[in-house]
Amino acid sequence: MSFGRPPSINSGFKVSPPDRGSFPLDHYAECKEQMMLYINCLKSNSSTSTACQELSKGYLHCRMNRGLMQQEDWESLGLANTGKSAASGKDSRDNPMSSSPASNS
Amino acid sequence: MTSKSNLDQTSSSPQPLIQRPIRVGPMPRYRSREEMYAVRAQKNRSLLMYTGAVIITFLGLTYAAVPLYRLFCSATGFAGTPSTRTQAASGPEFPEWMPEWLKTLLSPSTTAEDRFAPSRLIAVDPADNPKSRRFKVTFSSSTSTALPWTFRPAQHHVYVLPGESSLAFYTAKNNSKDDIIGVATYNVTPDRIAPYFSKIECFCFDEQKLLGSEIVDMPLLFFIDKDVLDDPSCRNVEDVVLSYTFFKARRNQQGQLEPDAPEDVIQKSLGFESYELAKKASDESSKGAPRD
Repeated sequence: MSFGRPPSINSGFKVSPPDRGSFPLDHYAECKEQMMLYINCLKSNSSTSTACQELSKGYLHCRMNRGLMQQEDWESLGLANTGKSAASGKDSRDNPMSSSPASNS
Repeated sequence: MTSKSNLDQTSSSPQPLIQRPIRVGPMPRYRSREEMYAVRAQKNRSLLMYTGAVIITFLGLTYAAVPLYRLFCSATGFAGTPSTRTQAASGPEFPEWMPEWLKTLLSPSTTAEDRFAPSRLIAVDPADNPKSRRFKVTFSSSTSTALPWTFRPAQHHVYVLPGESSLAFYTAKNNSKDDIIGVATYNVTPDRIAPYFSKIECFCFDEQKLLGSEIVDMPLLFFIDKDVLDDPSCRNVEDVVLSYTFFKARRNQQGQLEPDAPEDVIQKSLGFESYELAKKASDESSKGAPRD
């Protein structure tokens, strides 16, 4: 907005595009069930995202299968450490954080 | 009066009546005028060579400045150079004859740290790092008044660890009967956490077309970089608010201005309401062959 001003804490914010771009729109609600499972899991686990990582994997897997998302391996999406590896052939990383205790899959 | 002493030493000729240029060093002796011209020509040629070399050097530096500047910026992160992996994947414009090592040297993101490298996407367990804590990310949404959409987050907040990638959803409903294209932008508060907030994939900055009366769920995959734990200015940050705002898009994918009113209203304003319009190539309902 103002050019040439000295940097401040607020100047650290730069709106940046997402790394993988934009999700295509799910016009036919093909993955809605996985989404509802994930939302319900969040509600029952006091909105802690660690507990519901398996379901987020399920949702993204659904998207990949329907062509609504580019095929990516779980490591590059940061979802490799939840125990079971899904579509990709990569083995999950050995992680000190053990697999999620309260996942509802 | 201005004659120097060396003139007196070297020449046995009489004192010059006209002022000669001041010369440092002994006066050169030539056997003939041609020899003097030849020596001078040689000196001129060597001067020309040096000048030409300097010009070419600076021209070359001008061309080399672009990749050098890129290298410098990505190495020091000066002026907010973004470092995303997909930028490198799309590949800068290097000619084919360049060897691979030179290409990797000159491409920007090799020297910059990769924000989305898989090693950064591992959650930091409080058992491993006592500084690690859960951040409460609250989702907020708003729309522009010109956009007749209902846009809400599907979950109110999420507790995430640094480095942990989480999924979040927003629901958008087009309340009008027309197809409307919207574009979203986002904001993260507090500002000090904004450099650490990274989105892997979302629905922002891309035109999203919602058909009339359609409801769509929009996902978002994000994480908070684990370097936030080492930032002293962020040590008291526990709440993060991520807000998305949807605006009505005015331009289509070809960058052309798109009307934001129905077609008949536009044609009426132009005075063409009683005329039959030719079908557009982009018209989905048209059965004619595409133009190109």
